[in-house]
Parts: sequence; C-alpha cells; structure tokens
Amino acid sequence: MILQNLSIKRKLTLITMLTSSAALVLSSFSFLIYDLISFRHLLIEDLMTQAEIIGYNSAGAMEFKDVPAATATLSALTAKEGVITAGLYSRDSKMFAHFARNNSVIPSLLPAHSQDKGYRFEGGNLQVFHDVTLNGEHLGTLFLQSDMRQWSVRAKRYAGILCIFVLISGLFALFVSSKLQRLISGPILHLEDTMRMVSANRNYEVRATKSYGDEIGRLIDGFNTMLSEIQQRDTALRGANEQLKTRTGELEKEILHRKQTQEELLKAKHTAEEASRAKSTFLANMSHELRTPLNAIIGYSEMLEEETRESGKSDDLKDLRKIQSAGKHLLALINDVLDLSKIEAGKMGLHVESFEVAPLIDEMIATLQPAAAKNSNKIQVHVANEVGAMRADVTKVRQILFNLLSNACKFTDHGIIAVDVDQNKVEGHNWVRFRVSDTGIGITAKQKENLFHEFSQADASIARKYGGTGLGLAITYRFVQLMKGRISVESEPGKGATFTVHLPAQVVAEAPESARSAGTSDAMAPLAESKTHKDTILVIDDDASVRDLMSRFLSKLGFHAVAAASGEEGIRLARQVRPLVITLDVVMPECDGWTVLKKLKSDSTLAEIPVIMVTIVDNEAMGIDLGASNYLIKPVDRDRLAVLIEKHRTGRSATITEAGTAPFIASGRKPKRESKSKSSGEIDHAEDLVGRRQ
Amino acid sequence: MPKILLVEDNEMNRDMLSRRLQRKGYAVVTAHDGEQGHLLACSEMPDLILMDISLPLMNGWEVTRLLKTNESTRHIPIIALTAHALVTDRDKAFEAGCDDYDTKPVEFGRLNEKIDNLLTVKKL
Repeated sequence: MILQNLSIKRKLTLITMLTSSAALVLSSFSFLIYDLISFRHLLIEDLMTQAEIIGYNSAGAMEFKDVPAATATLSALTAKEGVITAGLYSRDSKMFAHFARNNSVIPSLLPAHSQDKGYRFEGGNLQVFHDVTLNGEHLGTLFLQSDMRQWSVRAKRYAGILCIFVLISGLFALFVSSKLQRLISGPILHLEDTMRMVSANRNYEVRATKSYGDEIGRLIDGFNTMLSEIQQRDTALRGANEQLKTRTGELEKEILHRKQTQEELLKAKHTAEEASRAKSTFLANMSHELRTPLNAIIGYSEMLEEETRESGKSDDLKDLRKIQSAGKHLLALINDVLDLSKIEAGKMGLHVESFEVAPLIDEMIATLQPAAAKNSNKIQVHVANEVGAMRADVTKVRQILFNLLSNACKFTDHGIIAVDVDQNKVEGHNWVRFRVSDTGIGITAKQKENLFHEFSQADASIARKYGGTGLGLAITYRFVQLMKGRISVESEPGKGATFTVHLPAQVVAEAPESARSAGTSDAMAPLAESKTHKDTILVIDDDASVRDLMSRFLSKLGFHAVAAASGEEGIRLARQVRPLVITLDVVMPECDGWTVLKKLKSDSTLAEIPVIMVTIVDNEAMGIDLGASNYLIKPVDRDRLAVLIEKHRTGRSATITEAGTAPFIASGRKPKRESKSKSSGEIDHAEDLVGRRQ
Repeated sequence: MPKILLVEDNEMNRDMLSRRLQRKGYAVVTAHDGEQGHLLACSEMPDLILMDISLPLMNGWEVTRLLKTNESTRHIPIIALTAHALVTDRDKAFEAGCDDYDTKPVEFGRLNEKIDNLLTVKKL
C-alpha cells in the first residue's frame, strides 16, 4: 500500500533497482551453486585419487603386517589439509594403521559402507573407502575422511564476494535508474505541474511542453488540445456572458420603458375613458337640450296646423307644414347622430324578442304609404309563407326597413317599390331575407364604395335635391352588423337598386360593451331580464368546460343560459330565474345531482320546471323515478337536447297562450305559421327521439 | 272627462302639451317639478300621469317610485317621457314602475294612442 502511494519517481527507481538487483542476485547465486558443486566433485575426485595412491603405497606394508610403514605412508596425508582421519583396516575390518589430525576420533572397526561409489557424506564429512589389493588379492580397506574445509571456506568467500558485488551493482543501478527515470517521470511531473497551475489559477492559456514522441508525449498533446478547447469555450462563454449582460441591461431598459409607456397608456386610457364619459354625458344632455325646444316647435306647429285647418285659413297651412317638416327633419338628424354615437360608444344594446314578420311588414308599409304616394310610387309586398316569427330587436329591424324603404321612396319617381321577405337555411342556421328593390335613379359602382359609410350620400347634389343626413344607410349597416346579419346592394344606375338584408332568424343578444366588461365571468347572460325567463335555461354542472359549451350551444339556439357550478347554487338560481328548463349533472362534489333533483321536485314553486339530466351516470330509471323529464348520457347529442328543449318551450308557450296572456308563438328551429298538425308532428318526432337511447 | 296630470318643467312644452291634450278632450292638471307632481298626484287623483324624467327637486324616477309604493296612488298609470333615448332609460322606466314609456319630442299621435290604451285597460 505504501509502495503504491510512492511518487512515480521513486517507483521507477525502485522498480529498476529491484529488477536489476534480483537478476544479479539470481544469476550470481546460480553461478555460486554451480561452482560449489563442481568444486565438491573436484574434492571428491582428489580424495579418491589420494586414496588410490595411498592404498597402492600401503599394499606392501599390509602384506607384511608392517604397521609402522603403513602409518608412515598414512602420515603423508598431513600435507593434505582437508583430511582429518585416515585408517587402514584388515580384511576382518580391524584397525591396522591410522592417521588422525588434531586428535580426531577414528573408529576402531571399519564403518559399513556402500561399495558402489566408494564415497559418502556422513555428518558433514566426506568419507572415501578404497580396497587395498596386491596382485589381485584383497588385503584390506583404506578409509579416508575429509572435513571439506576447503569447500566451506570457498563457499564463504564466494558469498562475501557476491554480497559486495550485489551491493555495488545495486548502488550503480540506483544511480543509473535515478538518472534514467527522468525520461518518464519528468514529462509526467511537468504535466502534473501544468495541471495544478491550470486548476489553481484557472488560467487556460498555459500549455504543457512536449519532450518526446512517446505515449506521454501524446498524452501531453491531448491535454493541450483539451486545454485549448476549454480556453476557446471559456472565451466563448465569457463572450456570451458579456452579451447576456448587455442584453439584460437592454431588456431592463426596455422593461422600464415599457412600464413607462404602460403607465402613460393607462393614463391616456383613463383620460380617454374620462373623455368618453364626458362625451356620453354631453350627448345625453345635448340630446335633451336639443329635443326640448324641438318638442315645442313641432308641437306648437302641429297644434296651429290643426287650429288653422279648423278655422279654414288655408294660406297659413302650407307655411305651418313647412315649419313642421323642417322640425321633423331636424329631429331625424339628431336621432341619427345620437344613434350613431351610441353604436360607436358600444352602448347600443339589443332587445331581442320574438315577433311575427308579416304584421311588421304590413305596419311598415302603412307608415310609408304617404311617402310613397308623394312621388307616385307603388309598393308591392310579398312575404313568403314559410316566414313566421323571428327573434331579433324589433325596433332595429323596423328602423332598418324604414331606412331602406324611405330611401327607395325618396329616390324613385312614378315607379315600383318591391318588398320581398323569405327564409332560407345556410349551414344549419335559418336566415330571414328582406329585399327592398326600387326602379329609381340607382347607384353607380363608385357610389357603392362609400354607401354604408357615415355622412356619405352618393352625391353632394343629392342632399340638396332629396334631403337626408347621409346617416341612414350607415346606421342600417351598423344595426345589421349588431344582429350578426349581412347587407348587400345591387344596382344599375338609372334602373333602380336592390338592397338585400340577411338576418339570423334567432338573433343572439350580446350585452353592450359597457355591461360586458362589468359582468362576471360565469354569469353567461345578464340576469336583468327576469321577465323573459321563458327563454332562460339553467345549466347545473361542476365542469366549467361543460357549462361553457352548453351555454354557447344554448345561446346559438336563442336561449339565455344561466350556469351554476354546484347543486346549492343551482337551486338558488332556479328560485331566482325560474328557468324554462334545467339541465342537471349527477356527479358533483358536496351536493350531487340526485339530491338537487329531489330538492327541486319537493319545492312546490320549482317542481313544475322540467329537468333534463345530462350525465355520464347510466341510471335512467333512478332519474325518471326522482322526477326528471328526460335523461341524456354524456357526451350529449346536441340535436336531441335541442329537440327536447324546444319541446318544453312549445309546451310552455301553448299553456301561456291558452291562459290568455300575450300571444307567444314558438320560434323554434322550424317555425310554422299555419299548420298546427305539423308542429304536433314535430313533437311526436321529438318524443320518438327521446325514447331512443344513445 | 279623464283627468291627466302632466309633470313637466319646461314651460313651453308644458303649455303646448297641456293645450293639445285639452283639445283632445282631457282635463289637464300641470306640475312644474317633482315635488309638486307628487303632491298633485295625491290630491287630484288623476286618471293618468305623464311624467317627465329630468325634473328639478325630485326626478321622475323617484316620483314614480313613491306613487307606485303608495297604496292609494299605485293604480294610476304613468307614462314616462324622456329625452334620453338610451336603452338604459327604457329599462329604468319599467324598473321604477312606469306603465309605458315614450321619448321626447313627443309624437302626439303615438302618445295619444298610448294614453287611450292605458285608460281603456284601466276602465276594464
């Protein structure tokens, strides 16, 4: 572990040193062993040769039992350093003669030995046995024992030399490796230094120096490449940062600027609103101030006219009528200007109600008959049979027709003015079409361009000749727009003009802007019209999107939708508005649809109101048991819902008519003027649909 | 002879309208402000009241509301006359309890019809 944490420099040195020392020790050691083994062989051979010589020399002495001669021969061994004992043994293994160095002990009997090699090692000593023969006769055995001193001295010396040699070469290896390790450790240490510098100072401009083309060199190259990339990114980042800072500054400035602008705008808005209020007040006052004297002028002149007529002063009559007509013209002008400013101020609301078209047309013709007669014009009227009742602002429809008809009368002389009314269906919506055509002076293509703009009569000379404010068509146009209708004109100068107005059979009342901004989000229709609750439908559903969709759909059908987000609110609103029909969801938090239904049916004032269940819960039996009129499963089939509601409206209005109150004719999707049987057929159809499950 | 109370602050209009009504055979009582109108309505018990709306001291809405909450005068039909031809005026008139509504300058024929209607209904 400690080794692993050593510096690379140490490691390299150590590795080199250990490797070389190990190799040296190993080779020296094997050399030593080899040398010692060979030396031992040499010693053995030498001792055996000695034994042969001595055996040969002592053979005679043995033959003649000459012990001193044999001992003398043996004593020659004194010169042989390693030999410690020597003995000559007779055939019966008894000691014959001996030699012993330094009082070494010699066995009196010949030790047993193996005869195959002639020598053996016994207790660290080499023992050699040699047969002493003379002329082929065995006389005895020579026994030599050497303590191998020469060998051990040599071994010790060699070991000493080896140690010194290893030490010296180890030191040398240390020296060489410490010099050479720099080749590897140097660049790595340099790389490390560079890295430390980079991380400490975050200075990415420093580069490591490449020394050699080896792996470390490549590592340094890679490191440098990485550094330059980081430096590049760093620079880019810094640039981006700078840019961001600049941009943030700009944005802050812009925001400040905008805030200022906003404040200014707000101020301007307040000023404008103030001005608008002032304008409205001024208009109201003006209209009052202008009308009051006019009231007197027209009134007195009418009165005088009557008196004059009665007294028979026909001369004054003409002048009085002139005063009257001038007064009425002025009044018309004031009314037009007032109407237009009301439209522009967004204060022109719609009073949508159901009315029969044919009587309205008759009434208009009766009113305009004098104007037509003035230029000897004839009026032809044709109202198609299928045109029955429509829902719209009757005052505005009347004014539209009045403007068109009076224009026709004004610009036609000895001609025919035709009024055509019919009904058609476009994209599932019913439209009532009014066509007013004349055979008068007509309109040129150029005049057509500005026809519906304010204060633009086709020609300035026309104003002189025919009078008028030039506001009539502008107002007509605005009224048609207000009711989401269309107006168009076709004309050929000199031959007459045809004005065509398309109005939806069921105009949807939109609250004037002022009321709309004040209204709350969830109250889809203003509750002000409590008198018209026969057109109000209460939607009770906790899902805002369902409330919204239902309200829109019902508005399209010409109903006022009032929405409640909870059961309690629903019951409260039901008491307040007494709707024609209630649509009720079942799954609602706190007070569920069943509870609401029970409460509605147990309240004598509300029990009469039909309830249509609109839910995902498939339990029609439960709904009908609790008193629901119909049961629809979500997603709702709108056509079926429309049929059901229509059925309830028809049922309700029939009761009203029977009761003798103001006659109200159902203005359903397909109003029928005459045939009662047909309308009852439609109810049958509706019931048929109700019976069918989704 | 049905009696009509005309509450109108403009002298000329008051004079003109009362003379024309008289010519049509009505007995006319006139008041020139709201308070006087209220007092006369209570003391004279007219068959019908023509009520201008912009009146000094007490405006037409207030007088109407007072008369319509009073048990003895609530049966008297009131026609509101206003120079403001705004939609809100019409709503206001019905809200205050007026039986009908007309804009000034009065178209006498039309007003006469309205008076006739209300008096006939009253008789029935």
